[in-house]
Amino acid sequence: MYLAEPLNYLSHIHHLPIAELEVGKHFYWQIGNLKLHGQVFLTSWFVIGVLIIAAFLASRRSDRIPSGIQNFMEYALEFIRDLARGQIGEKEYRPWVPFVGTLFLFIFVSNWSGALVPWKLVEIPGGELAAPTSDINTTVALALLTSLAYFYAGFRKKGLGYFGNYVQPVPFMLPFKIIEDFTKPLSLSFRLFGNILADELVVAVLVLLVPLFVPLPVMALGLFTSAIQALIFATLAAAYIGEAMEDHGEGHEEH
Amino acid sequence: MPSASKFCKSFWEVFPLVSLSIVTFAARVPMHWLLLGEAEEGGFGLNFSLLDTNLINLVIIIGVLVYFGRGLVGKTLAERRSQIEAAIKEVEDRKKSASAALAEEQQKLAQAKTEAERIRQNAVESAERARTAILEETEAELVRMQEAASQDITSQQERIARELREVIAARAVAIAEDRLKSGLNSDAQQQLVEQSIASLRG
Repeated sequence: MYLAEPLNYLSHIHHLPIAELEVGKHFYWQIGNLKLHGQVFLTSWFVIGVLIIAAFLASRRSDRIPSGIQNFMEYALEFIRDLARGQIGEKEYRPWVPFVGTLFLFIFVSNWSGALVPWKLVEIPGGELAAPTSDINTTVALALLTSLAYFYAGFRKKGLGYFGNYVQPVPFMLPFKIIEDFTKPLSLSFRLFGNILADELVVAVLVLLVPLFVPLPVMALGLFTSAIQALIFATLAAAYIGEAMEDHGEGHEEH
Repeated sequence: MPSASKFCKSFWEVFPLVSLSIVTFAARVPMHWLLLGEAEEGGFGLNFSLLDTNLINLVIIIGVLVYFGRGLVGKTLAERRSQIEAAIKEVEDRKKSASAALAEEQQKLAQAKTEAERIRQNAVESAERARTAILEETEAELVRMQEAASQDITSQQERIARELREVIAARAVAIAEDRLKSGLNSDAQQQLVEQSIASLRG
């Protein structure tokens, strides 16, 4: 008898319209014909605010020997710089540090805000506050920006010669390379969105089942995967940009 | 939602039996609660229910994070700071030693400059001295040469005068002999001799 209920529930899900399969309802803002997910904006603003305040505090009084938050933010910057340098290469990485760093910091703080900030304290008219990256729209936006960025990088570096990338190393690769342009943003956005949403759902379900202590390991694991996802997204974005700018002509010895 | 929170409360009371109750309760959870937001039809508000908001777990996990993370991050940051400090100190030391070396070299340069100046002055002085010495010497030489020349001239004059006298004398004698030969016949000779005798008588 007890087992029957979840099964009923599952069949119930199938009767719902597709849109309802999105987890939770959304707090809609209507702007013109657009329906915006308000809760995503609210938490995004929170994350942006956190980052801006941290950056402001870190750079407000810069000492020669950094201490406190300045030291911390410099450490983060060094980390991002090394990441970009590792993926893009010593020669070209410098202009891309801000982009890659923004991706990493925004995603990282978003993910961790979802895992650490007690959003449920605040009730909003519809849906609930969660990590901005647990909404597919955010991750798609980030992934499309990454696509734009690597196209821009490629065209800026090589002009129309960028299309030469599509027939490297063999012309046979052309269709796959074209497909890649579509799969890259797809995989980027879905990976991040799926991981974060799954994380939050697992925690939510566990909290629902056993409110105390039992969700802790999952939450800790969530923190870990959240950080890893931010790292993966930033690393892949940097790798795509580096790949777009790669020299195929005579630069093979540098690999 | 009400059933869920009721469940939570009762769960809290029977917490020691957690392992036993999980299975039982798990099946009983009203699953539609999973469709989040079903109960939230109102406006903005705050929900301070400890269990609903997962507050206890969050506090624990933040506490753990802060407790362990502070140590780790603190150590990393302290390391970084000390590295920077060491690097800055090293660079400053190098700067200091470099500026010391610079000062030393500048001192040496100044020394060398004064030395050069001294040598130059010496050179000027000795040049001056040499110049005056040479001038004096030359002048003395000049005087000596002038003297020698004038002496020479005098002696030459004397010699020439003497020679002239001799030549003239010789000429005069020759002329006189000529005249004598031409003009001195026996009459004149006679006359002359008489004249001379007469003058001797006086």
